[in-house]
Amino acid sequence: MGDLNSISLDCGRKPEHPEETHSDVGRTCELHVPVAEGKSVQQTVDLLHKKLEQLSAVKQGSFFVDCETYHAAGPTSGQPPKLLYVMHNSEMPLSCMAMFEGGPCLTADANFDVLMVKLKSHFQNAKGHKVESRGARYQYCDFLVKVGTITMSSSARGISVEVEYCPCVVPGDCWNLMKEFMQSFLGSNVPELPSVFTAKPEGLYAPADSTDTMTQYLELFSKVRKQQVVPGSTVR
Amino acid sequence: MADVMNVGVNLEAFSQAISAIQALRSSVTRVFDSLKDGMKNKETLEGREKNFISEFQENLQAVNRDLNELERLSNLVGRPSESHPLHNSGLLSLDPVQDKTPLYSQLLQAYKWSNKLQYHAGLASSLLNQQSLKRSANQMGASAKRRPKVQPSALALPPQYVDDVISRICRMFPDMTIELSRPNGTSAVLLVTLGKVLKAILVMRSLFIDRTIVRGFNENVYSEDGKLDIWSKSNYQVFQKVTDHATTALLHYQLPQMPDVVVRSFMTWLRSYIKLFQTPCQRCGKFLQDGLPPTWRDFRTLEASHDTCRQ
Repeated sequence: MGDLNSISLDCGRKPEHPEETHSDVGRTCELHVPVAEGKSVQQTVDLLHKKLEQLSAVKQGSFFVDCETYHAAGPTSGQPPKLLYVMHNSEMPLSCMAMFEGGPCLTADANFDVLMVKLKSHFQNAKGHKVESRGARYQYCDFLVKVGTITMSSSARGISVEVEYCPCVVPGDCWNLMKEFMQSFLGSNVPELPSVFTAKPEGLYAPADSTDTMTQYLELFSKVRKQQVVPGSTVR
Repeated sequence: MADVMNVGVNLEAFSQAISAIQALRSSVTRVFDSLKDGMKNKETLEGREKNFISEFQENLQAVNRDLNELERLSNLVGRPSESHPLHNSGLLSLDPVQDKTPLYSQLLQAYKWSNKLQYHAGLASSLLNQQSLKRSANQMGASAKRRPKVQPSALALPPQYVDDVISRICRMFPDMTIELSRPNGTSAVLLVTLGKVLKAILVMRSLFIDRTIVRGFNENVYSEDGKLDIWSKSNYQVFQKVTDHATTALLHYQLPQMPDVVVRSFMTWLRSYIKLFQTPCQRCGKFLQDGLPPTWRDFRTLEASHDTCRQ
């Protein structure tokens, strides 16, 4: 179990290749965009891209976030089995996040996946439950916008939009500012301040920036997972 | 105008002097010519030498004569440049194409203007001095012992005094932390951390702020060797803009007699950025314009507005 040495159990940020990570800290907000009536997911994504480009945002490559589900195996005394989620984010290519829903969360090296294979007897991979979001990454001034298509078992389930305002470290402070920015290309679909941030006493965006972002992605993915597969993907 | 007339009279002497210079040059040339040609072919060696020497002497005398003439003329020409208030530039008035190049009249105007400015500045300075004396006359006696009164050259204040001023400012603003360091000699470098919004580096010369750079709260202020990085600009556009405005503020807050007041005013102004991301523009009511929050703060009212809204 030499792999264990490489796992850091703190929630701190792992050093990454600087050229691969763009933003150090910032505050992000993901939201689930309803697909417009009578349009496919791809058409709505294209529409968002067009709106962003009209704002003179610059496209900067692509991104992905994925999430795999593991069932805790073994005797569970009456309780429903706990689910462990293992997530990857292209912003942090060397890291891997493992989190329980609403519970503790840990940031580990990317080879945590290998460890999970070895822990097969305790955690079983729920095949077919893999959710991922892939899409383009845009930069507009100090904003970072990621528009992704959420897919689950190769069917498009919805659209995720991540907005990050990099210069500000306190999400509550710049929330109104972000809201205004999101209104400029999302219209009225602007959410309220994510609960991840309201729950914090200080309101400071976690230095382990990934955890806040990933918690939001996890919430979004669980929402998507619970949805019925509707042909044509008119998802709310 | 008397100078101009004077110069006009001497023009005759000028032209004579110029021809005297030409004569001197040609006589000197003749000396070297004869030296170069050497001794002419004469029957006897003695004859040759004699002839050569006499010719050489003649030439030298001619040089001497021309030189004397030039010296005489140069006394006549005089030194117009020294007597002229504008020195050599006064000679511009001799330019015959005055209509095309009105340099001289412009020069005179500039000269008058600068004289006036100096005069008024002197008056203002003496008036201000009187005022400040009146206001602080009572404290003068007490404070003079404690700390040195602002010296004529505020550039040479003792470091202890600078430390005092900074620590007093630091106590004034609880949401601002100021770290003072002196990496190179006596000049202080301040690292100002404002809430969780920004970090500013101020390079001081005594109590004058020489340079400022503003970066984000989460950005690096130290370079790799652990020293304060006073050069590289912020990665974020919003803080690049704030840096520009802070530099403008440095130029705006000027009070040479009381440098500590300047530092305090600047810090008060800088502190208004604590709500950089929370305040909408006071002019247009919006948060964003071209993707930037209101980065400008009015120097008097500290009102927030976008850079483009303030004009």
